[in-house]
Amino acid sequence: MLVLLKMLQSLFKTLHSEGSPGQVAAGFVLGAGMGLTPILAAHNLVLFAALVLLNVSFAGGMLGLASFTPLAFIFDPLFDRIGAALLRSQALQGAWTDWYNVPLVPYTGFNNTVTLGSFAAWLVLAVPIYFAARRGIVYYRATWGARVMASRWMKGLKASKAYNVYNWFRPE
Amino acid sequence: MSARFKVFRWRAIGPLLFFFAVFIVLWILFADGIARRQSEDALSDLLGTQVDIRHLRIREADAAVDIGGLAIADPRDSTRNLIEAEDLTFDLDPVALAEKKIVIDRVSLLGLGVLTRRETPARRVSADGPTAQLIRQTDEWARDKFTFPSLALGRLDSLKQLVLNPEHLGTVKAVTAVVGRLDSLAGSARRTLDQIAAGTLVDSATALADRLAVLDPRKTSPLEIKNLVEGADHLRRRLDGAGKELAAVQKTVTAVSDGLTQSLAEVNAARERDYAFARGLLKLPDLNAPQFGAGLFGPVSLASFQRALVYAQVAQRYVPPGLQPWNRPGPKRARLAGSDVEFPRERAYPRFLLRQGEVSLGAGEQDAHAFQASFGGITSQPALYGKPATLSASGKLGGREVPLGIQLGVYSLHAGGPSKDSMTLRLTDIELPAIEVEGVPFTLTPGRGTVGFAFAMSGERIAGTWTLAAPSVRWAADTSRVHGETSAEGLLWRVLRGLTDLKVRADLGGTLASPTLAVRSNLDDAVAGSLRAMLGEELEKAEAKAREAVDQLVGPQVAALRGQYDTFMADLAKRVPLEQGQLDAADKRLAKEVKRLTTGALGGIQIPKL
Repeated sequence: MLVLLKMLQSLFKTLHSEGSPGQVAAGFVLGAGMGLTPILAAHNLVLFAALVLLNVSFAGGMLGLASFTPLAFIFDPLFDRIGAALLRSQALQGAWTDWYNVPLVPYTGFNNTVTLGSFAAWLVLAVPIYFAARRGIVYYRATWGARVMASRWMKGLKASKAYNVYNWFRPE
Repeated sequence: MSARFKVFRWRAIGPLLFFFAVFIVLWILFADGIARRQSEDALSDLLGTQVDIRHLRIREADAAVDIGGLAIADPRDSTRNLIEAEDLTFDLDPVALAEKKIVIDRVSLLGLGVLTRRETPARRVSADGPTAQLIRQTDEWARDKFTFPSLALGRLDSLKQLVLNPEHLGTVKAVTAVVGRLDSLAGSARRTLDQIAAGTLVDSATALADRLAVLDPRKTSPLEIKNLVEGADHLRRRLDGAGKELAAVQKTVTAVSDGLTQSLAEVNAARERDYAFARGLLKLPDLNAPQFGAGLFGPVSLASFQRALVYAQVAQRYVPPGLQPWNRPGPKRARLAGSDVEFPRERAYPRFLLRQGEVSLGAGEQDAHAFQASFGGITSQPALYGKPATLSASGKLGGREVPLGIQLGVYSLHAGGPSKDSMTLRLTDIELPAIEVEGVPFTLTPGRGTVGFAFAMSGERIAGTWTLAAPSVRWAADTSRVHGETSAEGLLWRVLRGLTDLKVRADLGGTLASPTLAVRSNLDDAVAGSLRAMLGEELEKAEAKAREAVDQLVGPQVAALRGQYDTFMADLAKRVPLEQGQLDAADKRLAKEVKRLTTGALGGIQIPKL
């Protein structure tokens, strides 16, 4: 329950005041990367570190993660095909073979069809996701934001705050 | 004026470090357990049987893994383990580990058990696992390719109850098929002969020859002679054509009659099978000596070959030749696993390599160990390693009344040509499991003995030998199913209980598609001879009655077929040469008359003098 409340808190903080739309959208893109690709992969450590260390919205990242994880399950067969096509591409065989034999690189799991396919899909979609998210946040804040913040259940939600670790990661 | 935008959030470093610290603590707490469970699952999938690991410890600083209490269950006997290892230590190559490759530099082992009893029966591994599928396919292969004679014995007086259904007899079907072919051939041959109409042609030729014979060439006009000669030539061409057609008919019939002769032989073979079928209904024992070896020890020897075949196929599946990229299923997870594609490179580490290992269990350990094993070149990518995988072990394992003697050799070459896998194993002083003999109520307890086993697979070709020698076997009978001393079981029991020395040899050969298995034992002749002495006369009578029962049903049909065949062949044998002879005679006569007529006509012509 606490986790759910915190998610909702982060969602609304994200949408309302925590950082500029660009910062929220950038965090959202990084979270989307973690959501689209299998979570237990080495590259997600890099994405997570970037989300924490870069001055982007951490809550936006969590929102991106939560939004894209269900989509990833739906699109896994497509990712599998994309990854298989890339890994079997004759033009890329040399590059894959080099990477496969470089220390630590195999731990990224790039030679897995779903991991590579989903990562490639995220790379392609990152820029459209960024602009779509930024536009959506701007639109929300201009139209629905004030009403939602003034609503009774939003006040209740704010009052339920017990602990907010996200403050550590609030965009400056 | 707005503050300068900062790219980095430096204050988050603390929480990030805290996060990694938590990750390290979780790793320390749970990594060993996760690795142990994953190792158990992976090995169970690979070997198609339950694999237990009591504890597993990853020593990151030493690049080593300690495994304790490894137990690999026997996939065909859930109550025992094939191998138990008390403590295993693997020293890994850290450089290869950085490339996510497992290269084991050294293995040390303490405490080894072979074919030990399990405290709890092994659970069945997933039927969808690749090795479980291979085991299932091998079982189907064995069922499909091998049948062993049943030793099911019944009372000899059950002959009275023999009732045969003609529909179950192969002879009836074979006769029907041959009769159909024979009818078709006879009809076709007769139609062809009728179309040739040799008799009509001969009549015409004879009539023309008679007419020519009465003509005087000097009194006949040249024009008439010319017309008659042309008519005779035309008729001779028809005679010649008819002769050729007759020869063709003869040739066809000869070829088909060879097939019919073969079919008749098949009818006879079907009749022999029907005799065997009738004998089977009577449950009469087969007194041919090799039948006993195959019936008694065929299934148990085949089970050993099946096991070796499964592991050879597992090796061929997981250790493919060549360097081409190849796929294996991705990691198990909530999301789609996908496939892991490997990109091996020459002169690089294979994904898995056990460079060299030695196991030495010195005397005094567990009372009487004197065992040494060495192995090397065990790799998932032999094309990279280029050498065969070998394993050799010999010695004695103590911890029991009499130490178990082991000699083992394994050779596997999956590089530079067709895959070759072979193994030899010799176990001495091994407590052999009881053997239930199918079809008869007897159990054989071999006691302590020696088992020899050799198996080789190269491409599609397989070869193997399984031997068993036990000097003091015991036989047990289910007395409730032995119907008195005069029954076949009773008589067989009287023979078997006196036989205590057992020697069995099974030889496997051929290809996977067409394998052969010959099983012989020293019991064969003894059992066959004793039974023949005791049952011979009765069996002969019973067999004669079984043959009679079959003959009553199929005898008339076979006789009719034989008669029909003989008639047809005799008819052809008589008619074709006769007509051929008539055609020849008519042709010769016509030729003679034509010559006489044309010579006479020329003789009358006045040739002017020059």
